Amino acid sequence: MAVEAQEIARPETRRRARRARPGFVTTGLLAPPVLWLVIFFLVPVVLIALYSVNVFSLYPGGQYFTLDSWKNFLDGSPFLDLFWKSVRMSLIVSVAAVLAAYPIAYFIALVASRRKYVLLLLILTPFLVSYFLRLLAWKVILGDQGVINTFLYWTGIRAEGDPVSWLIYSQFAVILTLVYVYVPFVALPIFVSLDSLDRRLLEAAADLGASRWQAFRKVTLPLSLPGVIAAFIFVFIPTIGEYFTPLLVGGVNGTMFGNAIADQFGQSLNWLNGSVLSFFLLTVVALLLAVFARFLTVRRVATG
Amino acid sequence: MSKERDGSPFERKLGRDDFLKLSALTVGSGVLAACGAEGSSAPEPGGGTTTQAERPPISSEPGDLEVFEWAGYEYPAYGGKRGQLWPYVDKYGKPKFSFLTSDDQALGKVRAGYRPDIVHPCVDYTGNWVEMEVVQPWDPALIPSFKELDPVLVKGGQIDGQQYFIPADWGFSSPLYRSDKVEPNGEESWELFYDDRYKGKISWWDTPLENFVIWGYVNGVGDPWKMTDDELDEAKDFLISKKNLCRNFWSSQTDLDADIAAGNIWIAYSWAGSYVAAKDAGLDVVYSEPKEGRLGWNCGFVLMKETENFRHAHEFIEGWSSKESAEWIINNYAYGHANTAVDLSKVPEDYVKVFHLDDPKAREEPNAHYARPVSTADRARYASRWDEVKAA
Repeated sequence: MAVEAQEIARPETRRRARRARPGFVTTGLLAPPVLWLVIFFLVPVVLIALYSVNVFSLYPGGQYFTLDSWKNFLDGSPFLDLFWKSVRMSLIVSVAAVLAAYPIAYFIALVASRRKYVLLLLILTPFLVSYFLRLLAWKVILGDQGVINTFLYWTGIRAEGDPVSWLIYSQFAVILTLVYVYVPFVALPIFVSLDSLDRRLLEAAADLGASRWQAFRKVTLPLSLPGVIAAFIFVFIPTIGEYFTPLLVGGVNGTMFGNAIADQFGQSLNWLNGSVLSFFLLTVVALLLAVFARFLTVRRVATG
Repeated sequence: MSKERDGSPFERKLGRDDFLKLSALTVGSGVLAACGAEGSSAPEPGGGTTTQAERPPISSEPGDLEVFEWAGYEYPAYGGKRGQLWPYVDKYGKPKFSFLTSDDQALGKVRAGYRPDIVHPCVDYTGNWVEMEVVQPWDPALIPSFKELDPVLVKGGQIDGQQYFIPADWGFSSPLYRSDKVEPNGEESWELFYDDRYKGKISWWDTPLENFVIWGYVNGVGDPWKMTDDELDEAKDFLISKKNLCRNFWSSQTDLDADIAAGNIWIAYSWAGSYVAAKDAGLDVVYSEPKEGRLGWNCGFVLMKETENFRHAHEFIEGWSSKESAEWIINNYAYGHANTAVDLSKVPEDYVKVFHLDDPKAREEPNAHYARPVSTADRARYASRWDEVKAA
């Protein structure tokens, strides 16, 4: 009896001890990042929300609660149209980036078995050059006297002085540049998914008579979907609010929602409207994340 | 009015990092603005009431002068090597520079809590700076070259009899176009900006005010600098209908100059610096004299209230105001300078002719329209519509 009681009690105390000590450590470890998030994320978000209803205002004296700016924004303002345009552009960028990155990730994870980490490093090399310089390089490539147009003149496909002008300062330029920028980011989660794929499943598929294409369609692709979705989010969420790329290569029609927000705060000094736009963007992104989160858990990205 | 120099690698772009920093700053100041909205009447060191005799000598100042400046005027970039800054730098060392890209952006940044010692806005914004209660008057007695400055410009910098603004550089804003590619319809006019024949080759300046002012002069409204809401709405609709003629709206002169040199842009709102850059690039360009009149600008310096470098700031401005400095500015940027003692025979003849440096009448109404003070409220009316033009 006594022995039994001891045996039952022992794990109990152990569990309690384990619970108490990590609790202390966990708090200590978590406090700085949580504090960081509270001070530099939550508080600003609350402030923005308050600015957006005019409880705070840039110019002292005019503070009172009003939803007018929200009403104006939601009631067919050009900014709302601009938002949907940004969403559309982001969707195109995300899909294109995923499509471009998948074969790369597939090759590195499943084909280039021994050199895969060297190759992974290689696709990250563009990050050694500043983003600004890479954008300038695109300007050189896409301009009216740029690499592409000069080539077209040279081959006689286009007459000299009649350049393909939508290459730069257009939505196309923004989308192209963003896809280029995000492909390495997107390749990583897909690579992780594919890399942790159980190869025996592919062997089993082959044993059961599946062609390589069937094996890909029925085994590889479904199992790598969590990585694909994660990759999609990696692009889609940050590009909706993209600011810098459209500023440099967007021209008149490539402007995105992020540029409008920056203008409201920096140029027009209309913090009220700027806060409405920012908070709207934040809300939509948060909702999207919540929706995506239902389809995805972090562990599934890693384990496939 | 930007004075960015062509191709200067020192020009600051608003990069991602800067944007983040700015955002952080903005948020931080948001807290401050929110908390201290009512009572911001803390006693400031170097407030307007202290007399010159009471000022501590220059040796007791920290000397870490910080100048909020247009890119291209800083040391040791192009503008600093032997330019308008060397008298100051030789004596007191290199000031610290931060960069503004427009008057509105500068106001916004200071409104958000940034506190340099000196800022280089344009005269039409002086009222906004005083209104914001962040600047103090200069003491002209501490600036020996002050007496050589153009009295008309000097007067423009006074509010309530106090010299809040020291005029420095001035110039025109006008359409610049490639004469080998563009043929204006009859008389020279701002309407070139709305000419369907040059779709995709035009660049307007990205600014809340001027695009409406230009429309105002083209359409002969009562006061382009204080248009009614109806006029502004009409202008907005018109600009939206014409914006697709533009390749882009430029915000950095360096980018514009690069686009002109690369053949992407043929017609642009521009300052003298772009004319010089295009000529240097070997292009045939005309700096237009539109029948509606050129726009004009005059920029200079305001002194922040909280500066601990009162005397350093005045020494810095003396360097800027001297006639040697004026000569240098004209030769290198083709901008005008407030110093009237400058010897124009030492300046390229082309600049004197194109920019009427020898003829003060060319700067007066109705030949040119110098930027006029616009109240913060009116500015907001223009700005919100410009935002809509861009978002549309």
